[in-house]
Amino acid sequence: MKHLLQQVFRSPKFLVGFVIFSLLLLFVLIYPLFVPDNPLGIIGQGTFFEPGIYVNAYDVIGTDPRTLMLDNAAANRIASKLSPADRTAMQEYLVAVGVDEEDIELEDTEKLLDLWEAYYDPAARPAGFTAAQRRYYGRLTNNLFGILSLESVVIAAENPETGVMEQIDEVKQSDYVNVNKVANVRWLPLGTDNFGRDVLTQLVSATKTSLQIGLVAGSIATAIGLTLGLIAGYVGGWLDDIIMFITNLFTVIPGIVLLILISFSIGQENRGAVTVAVVIGITSWVWTARAVRAQVVSLRNRDHVNLSKLSGHSVAHIIVNDILPYIASYVIMALILQISSGILAEAGLSILGLGPKTTEVPTLGLMMNWALIYSAHVTNKWWAWVPVIVTIASISFSLNLMNTGLDQVFNPALRED
Amino acid sequence: MGKVMLEVRNLTTKYITRFKEDIYAVDHVSLKIEEGKSLGIAGESGCGKSTLALSLMGYYFPPLYYTSGDIIIDGKNISGMDPDVVRKSILGKEVAYIPQAAMNALNPTQKVIRFIEDVIHVHEPQKSKKEIYEFARDRFEQLGLPANVLEKYPVELSGGMKQRTVIAISVILGPKVLIADEPSSALDVTSQKMVIKMLRDLMDSGMIKAMIFITHELPLLYNVTDDIMVMYAGQIFEKAPAHEAVFDPLHPYSQGLMGSIIVPEAGLRDVKLTAIPGTPPNLKNPPSGCRFAPRCKYVKPICKVTSVGMVHVGEDRMYRCVMSEEEIRELQQ
Amino acid sequence: MKGYSKYFGGKLLWFSVTFVAAFLLNFILPRLMPGDPVAVITQRVTTGMTSQAGVQKVYEEYANLFGTNKPMYEQFFLYVRNVFRGDLGVSFSQFPRPVADILRSSIWWTVALQFPAIILGWIIGNTLGALAAYLKGGFDKMLLPISIFISNLPAFGLAIVMLVIFGVDLGWFPTSGGYGFDLIPNMSWQFVWSVIVHYQLPFWTIVLIAIGGQAIGMRSMAIYELNADYVKYARFLGIKDRKTIMYVFRNAMLPQITGLALSVGTMVGGNLVAEVIFSYPGLGQTILTGVMGQDYPLISATTLVITLMVLIATFVIEILYGFIDPRVKAAQAD
Repeated sequence: MKHLLQQVFRSPKFLVGFVIFSLLLLFVLIYPLFVPDNPLGIIGQGTFFEPGIYVNAYDVIGTDPRTLMLDNAAANRIASKLSPADRTAMQEYLVAVGVDEEDIELEDTEKLLDLWEAYYDPAARPAGFTAAQRRYYGRLTNNLFGILSLESVVIAAENPETGVMEQIDEVKQSDYVNVNKVANVRWLPLGTDNFGRDVLTQLVSATKTSLQIGLVAGSIATAIGLTLGLIAGYVGGWLDDIIMFITNLFTVIPGIVLLILISFSIGQENRGAVTVAVVIGITSWVWTARAVRAQVVSLRNRDHVNLSKLSGHSVAHIIVNDILPYIASYVIMALILQISSGILAEAGLSILGLGPKTTEVPTLGLMMNWALIYSAHVTNKWWAWVPVIVTIASISFSLNLMNTGLDQVFNPALRED
Repeated sequence: MGKVMLEVRNLTTKYITRFKEDIYAVDHVSLKIEEGKSLGIAGESGCGKSTLALSLMGYYFPPLYYTSGDIIIDGKNISGMDPDVVRKSILGKEVAYIPQAAMNALNPTQKVIRFIEDVIHVHEPQKSKKEIYEFARDRFEQLGLPANVLEKYPVELSGGMKQRTVIAISVILGPKVLIADEPSSALDVTSQKMVIKMLRDLMDSGMIKAMIFITHELPLLYNVTDDIMVMYAGQIFEKAPAHEAVFDPLHPYSQGLMGSIIVPEAGLRDVKLTAIPGTPPNLKNPPSGCRFAPRCKYVKPICKVTSVGMVHVGEDRMYRCVMSEEEIRELQQ
Repeated sequence: MKGYSKYFGGKLLWFSVTFVAAFLLNFILPRLMPGDPVAVITQRVTTGMTSQAGVQKVYEEYANLFGTNKPMYEQFFLYVRNVFRGDLGVSFSQFPRPVADILRSSIWWTVALQFPAIILGWIIGNTLGALAAYLKGGFDKMLLPISIFISNLPAFGLAIVMLVIFGVDLGWFPTSGGYGFDLIPNMSWQFVWSVIVHYQLPFWTIVLIAIGGQAIGMRSMAIYELNADYVKYARFLGIKDRKTIMYVFRNAMLPQITGLALSVGTMVGGNLVAEVIFSYPGLGQTILTGVMGQDYPLISATTLVITLMVLIATFVIEILYGFIDPRVKAAQAD
């Protein structure tokens, strides 16, 4: 046993798969210790906040400022204020007043501002611009040069007693606060989703649920497949005929059809994650049953089994002692594949709107479903769907790698390649 | 002394594993077969006898590689030839091969006649399908095989029939030397007999001029071949006429090998079976000195240091051991 | 020819039996489940209605319409009769549009998209796999990881990646639908062109998915066959490598055909989800609509149609296989 494990872990494929899977599992287990929030808790008002560190603006005002004299601060400030649309609009104006388009560089904020200062004339009325556009340019210019000329911003609040606005603070352009000193900072490494929920927290919880679904579905499928395969293969006769008939039936009838029918009939309200897992499990045992049967048939007439039969052991004893140990490696490999395909099945079902109910726990499939419904994929909200697909792919990839590694250890004939 | 049909001098071939290790499975093997004679090669599995069969064809493909030595068939040295020339003018015409597992030797999705067409086309591309069919039919009938076999797929043939078909295809181009690698091992007794009879007939009728017969079943060799050669760890350990090789082996390994089997011969009924202790060496790094030394019950200190050459005894016997014939006979008592 | 008709007959019988079983399941499964579809539709229709008697009347009307107030066996015969008449009931969510009408407009999108794509993917995948097994070296080292990567990505995952890269970022192809949303289906050049353009992304996605799976299978099959005894024997009879390779590829391809027959159902299932990603107007979208609208007759009929589609595809492949593999005929002739 120890030797076998050593051999398994010496297979590079198995090792890589095992490491990826373990890291994933570790992260899923450890993350909630640090961020114990409700994965479905809505924290953002609005949809799809970008990933990043969110610093509470109110708390920033109350935090002790420090003065840092940094050269490029002003340039950065303006650069961040100038949206790409503003830049294109400025380019249009500059071209209209006779600047060579070649000379304008949209990305170089400093040069653009220099040009603007040189050519923009609030009184001029270049052809082709409406009054509204001219007003826009005026506002833009005031904004930009306002930033440059402003020394500080005054913060005022209403005095509750007198009802008069009073200055409570003044923020200078060279004021900085230490993020660590700000009372409320929230890191959203993967932003928020369409409902304003923290994507990472949700993803961790979803990965956990999906793995559980995979495990439950895989175990059920393997248990059914193993039982039927053993009976059909070892007992044979009419039992074999009946089981094989049913197995062949379900090989040809697409599993997804059964999945859809059953899931739909159960109804959205009754579909918990476990229910979905069970449904997936009872519709995907076919391949395991076929394969186990084939293995058992080839084992049935081996010498050691015959010997056991002659010594008068019971069928159960023979199956447990003389058959199971020989197909154990095979069954484990089948289980690994079933877990992986169970996770994929849940995702597929959820995309079709037949996944677990949405109010209890997130699953990878549900996250995918939400991202799709809210068009995250066509509106460049990558953080809502890329991490989900990467997670699904890593799970499936690592499990398959482990499976291939095991296969190479247990079936040396395949080692050729 | 008849004309020499096949002579092999110091043939060495190796396998290169995927870890780039060299395994010399045939190590300086020399042998000679005269016209009308057959030679049996015996040994435990893994001793290199099947590799020797492959190596004798003079046509190598990975992972088997030619290293050195000569193969001379009917006076023609084929070991230096261009592989494509060997393929076109030697394979099947001068020397033919009967594979170990004839069960799978035929392409399962091809009718027998289609395969024969492919074989004949290599050497006679101008021959028409009809000519080939008539030729093959005649040849099959001559060998006692029904002509309807030609129109069948391998799955439709029984094991024995398949093996005989393979033999018939192997000799269809009239090769001088036939190399049969365990042609009857996987068959039932009746089919085995028919295959052996077919091979004997081929020799008796002079269709085949010389034959090498490889098997681990010694009783079979004793009945089929004139001489027997014993191989161990890629080397020849003993060569003798069949009767002597079985009943009066000289080399301690041959003695062990013969002692471990039953030859259905009068007087042997009460002989005890003995097994050779230990396992054959790993050819990746064979023991220095005599390769059998680690298992030899008569081993001497010198055996582990120096390798020994062949010792000739009379006209047609030789063995590879430091001990003299007398010494061995004494120990045997 | 006798061998073939026996094979054909056997397969036909088997598929008929399978179809009957699938048909039964399609009828029974939803009825075994808790919940009453008529209650669901009544609830939908009567939202806002306060009179209890009115609700009861609506319920009875629908129960009558769908026959749910009759005993099970009677319902079954009613169902069988209706299905064979092509009457698949009336859609809940698109009332009073007949389900058959909805399916007629979506099934051809799926058939025209999936089957050519699966076949093309199968051909390319097998060619690549065979080449990888034969050429080994760099080609194999490049192809294998890519294939493994693709086959590990679920169909919908690949669909999204393709959509974002070629539809959103590069903007080469439209991102959703089967034709421009501003067009009405007709035989004009503009419409046909729009259909062709919309066809590309889903089509190549399915092709890629099929390639990934097939290439790996073919590769290991061909490696196995390349080491077969008949290859060695043929070589020792002087047959050219090019010819033995042909034996090998032909023999390695045969199990791939059987494999396709066995996996076509799974493939179609996965591709339906991919269709949803592209909002392709096929059966995947129909299921989604049905689920969203709690449209029981629509779902039931769609699953029946998918089953029938897969059964026919499997049947056709197996019949073709019978013609290609000589052993089938030989085995039947005994």
